[in-house]
Amino acid sequence: MTPRPPTETPPESRGAVQRPHVLVIDDEPQIVRALRTILSQNGYQVVSASRGEEGLALAAAAPPDVIILDLGLPDMDGIMVCERLREWTRTPIIVLSVRDADADKVAALDKGADDYLTKPFSADELLARLRVALRHAARWDGSRQESVVIAGPITVDLARHEVRRDGEEVRLTATEFRLLAYLAANANRVLTHRGILSQVWGPDEGDHVEYLRVYIRQLRKKLEPDPERPEFLTTEPGVGYRFHADV
Amino acid sequence: MKPAVLLARPVVRYLLAALIIVLTTGLLRLRHPDLGTALVPLLYLLSVGLCTAFLGLGPGIASAVLAFLAFNYFFLEPFHTMVVYRAEDTAVLLVFLVVAVVISQMVGRAQAGLAASRAREREASLLYELSTALAGLTDAQDIGQVLCEQTRQTLQAERVELEAGSVDAGPRVQAAAPALGASPERPADEVMALQTARGRLGEIRLWLVSAPLAASEARLLYTFASQGALALERAWLAQSEQRAKVLEESDRLKSALLSSVSHELRTPLATIKAAATSLRSGEIAWDSAGGQDLLGAIDDEADHLNRLVGNLLDMSRIESGALRPQRQWNLLSEIVAGVADRMQGLTVDHVLEIDVPEELPLVPVDYVQFEQVFTNLISNGLKYAPPHSTISIRAALDGADTLRVQVSNQGPPVPEQDLARIFDKFYRVTAAERVTGTGLGLSICKGIVEAHGGRIWAENLPQGFAFVFLLPLTWEGAPPPRVPLEGDGG
Repeated sequence: MTPRPPTETPPESRGAVQRPHVLVIDDEPQIVRALRTILSQNGYQVVSASRGEEGLALAAAAPPDVIILDLGLPDMDGIMVCERLREWTRTPIIVLSVRDADADKVAALDKGADDYLTKPFSADELLARLRVALRHAARWDGSRQESVVIAGPITVDLARHEVRRDGEEVRLTATEFRLLAYLAANANRVLTHRGILSQVWGPDEGDHVEYLRVYIRQLRKKLEPDPERPEFLTTEPGVGYRFHADV
Repeated sequence: MKPAVLLARPVVRYLLAALIIVLTTGLLRLRHPDLGTALVPLLYLLSVGLCTAFLGLGPGIASAVLAFLAFNYFFLEPFHTMVVYRAEDTAVLLVFLVVAVVISQMVGRAQAGLAASRAREREASLLYELSTALAGLTDAQDIGQVLCEQTRQTLQAERVELEAGSVDAGPRVQAAAPALGASPERPADEVMALQTARGRLGEIRLWLVSAPLAASEARLLYTFASQGALALERAWLAQSEQRAKVLEESDRLKSALLSSVSHELRTPLATIKAAATSLRSGEIAWDSAGGQDLLGAIDDEADHLNRLVGNLLDMSRIESGALRPQRQWNLLSEIVAGVADRMQGLTVDHVLEIDVPEELPLVPVDYVQFEQVFTNLISNGLKYAPPHSTISIRAALDGADTLRVQVSNQGPPVPEQDLARIFDKFYRVTAAERVTGTGLGLSICKGIVEAHGGRIWAENLPQGFAFVFLLPLTWEGAPPPRVPLEGDGG
C-alpha cells in the first residue's frame, strides 16, 4: 500500500520542510504502535519511550515539539513526569488517561499539561489536539500574538475589550469579559476549573466552581446560538471548559 | 467506712460479741438482786444466741465461752473468783456451757445456711443480669465492654480490663471499665482466664478496692468469665458465619457477572473481529461503501465495549465502597443538557423532553457521576419504550432542601413486585436475550444516588413508567450558594 500523503499541514512556524517532532511516553506497545502509524502517516516524526525516566532523558536530549504522555507509567507517576518537564520546558504536553482517573488528569493539567485524551480515543481527536497544542506553542514563542479570536459568529477582541455576535456588540459584565477573555486567549485548549478560577477570580477562589457554573451559563446565554447545546463554550466533564475558536 | 463493711471484718465481729457479753453482764449486775439466780444463765443464753445470729458462728462460740466465764465470776459463789463451791453450781455451769455452745452452733448453721442461700440468690440474679445484658449483643467488642462493666459493678472493683482474641475472628477485643483512664501502676489483683471448650480466648484483669476476693466473689468472677467467654465465642462464630455467607453470595454474583459479561463483551468483539479480518483480507475495498460500513461498525462496537467496561468498573467501585463522589456545586440543567447533547445520536427515534429549570439551586453532586445516572436512565427508557414515544426529564424542588428528579418514559408498566428489584444487579424484567446491556445500569444509578445521600425508586405512571430520585441540596450542612451576578455594562 502506498503511503497516503499527509493530510495535515505542519504548523506554519516550523516551515514546510521540517516535520514536527512528537515524543510519545507510554508503556503499552500496542498504543505506541498505533500512535506511531497514525502520526507518521500525518506528517509527524515520532520518538517513543516506555518509561518516565527514559522519556525525560529523550526530551532533554532532543527537545520535541510536543509530548504525548501516558499517566500510568511503570516507573514513575505521570503527574511527576509532567512536573519535571515543566521545570525547564514549555513544550506542549498532552496526557493520555483512562476514564476512571479524572483526578489524575486534572492534577496533570494543573501541573502544566496542556490537554488530555481519554483512552480509548479516535485518531481525529488525537490529531486535532496535536494541532491545537502546536499552534498554542507557536504563539508562546511570540511569533504570532492574536488579539482577535473568532469562533463562528463570535468575535472576541482582546485588545479593545469588545465582543460581537453576528457583528453586533454584546454587552458583558466585567467578570464575564475577564472569563471570556481568558478562555479565548487559550482557545481550543482545555482549561481546568481551578486554573480558570484562580486566573479570573483570584488565586484564593480556586474551589468555587459554582461561580464558574453560573458565569459560564451567563456567557452561553449571551453568546451561544443555542445555549442548551453550546458549540463554542463547551463543558469538559469533571475537568473544566474549552473555548472552540475557528482554526 | 460503712457499718456493713466494718462488720465484714472478723476482728470487729469478735469485739462486738465481747461487747454484748460485757453489756449483758453489766445489766445483770445492776439488776441482780431483783432477778432470780435462775434467770441469769437464761439471759446469758439469749445474748449468746443473738451474737451467733448476727455475728456468725465464731463470735457466737466466743461469746458462749465469755458468758460462761462471766457467769462463774460474777454470779456464782464465791463471787469474783473462778472457783465454784457448790456441786450443783458446777453442774449448772457445765450445762450452761454445753447449751450455749449447742445453741451457738445451731443458730450459726441456720445463719450460715441462710447467708449461703442469699448469696446463691444474689449470684443467680447477678448472673441473670449479665446474661440479659449479653443476650442482645452480637459484636464482640460490645460484649467485652458489658462484661467489664458488670464485673466491675458486681465486685466493686477499681478497674476491670479484658483482652481476648481468636485466630479466626476479627480484631482482638480490648475493653475496660471505666472505659477511659489507664490501668493502675500495680499488677492486677485478680486475673481470670476466659476459657471455653475450644480453648483460652483471653483474660479479665481486676484491680480491687480491698483485696483479696471472698470465696463467693471468686466463684462469681469465675462464672462471669465463663459466661463472657461463651458470649464472645458465640459472637465470633456468628461473624465468621456471616463472612462465609457474604463470600458465598459474592461468589455467586461473580459467576453471574462473568457469564453475563462474557456474553456482552463477546458480541461487540465478534463484530470488530469479523469486520477487521474482512477488511484485512482485501475482499472488501476500504473505500467502498461496504468497507466504510465495516469501519463504522468497528468504531461503534469499540465504543460499545468501552461503555460496558466502564459500567463494570463503576459497579465494582460501588461494590467495594470506592465510589467517592467528587462533589462540586453544579447546575443540574448543565449536566442534563450535556447528556442530551451527547446522546443525540441514540435518541433520534424518541422525543427527549427536558424540563430542568436553570433557576433551580445549585446541586452538590459529582458532575461525571450524574452524567452517568442520566445516561443510564435515558438508555433504559430507550431500550423499553416504543419508538417515537417521549422520554422526559423533570426536576423540581421537593420542600426547601431536596430536589426531586423524574426521568419517565412511555414504556410498558413493570409488575409492582418487580419495581424494587429492577435496581438489583443483573435483574431484568424482560428476558435477557431481548435486551442488550450488562444489567448493571440501574444498580449503578442507585449506587451513585445513594453515595450522594439520595434515594431512587421506580414507579408506574398512568401513561408509562418513571424513575424518581431525591437529592439533598445541602452539602455538609451548607445550603446551595447563591452566586451574585453583576449588572450589565460593568
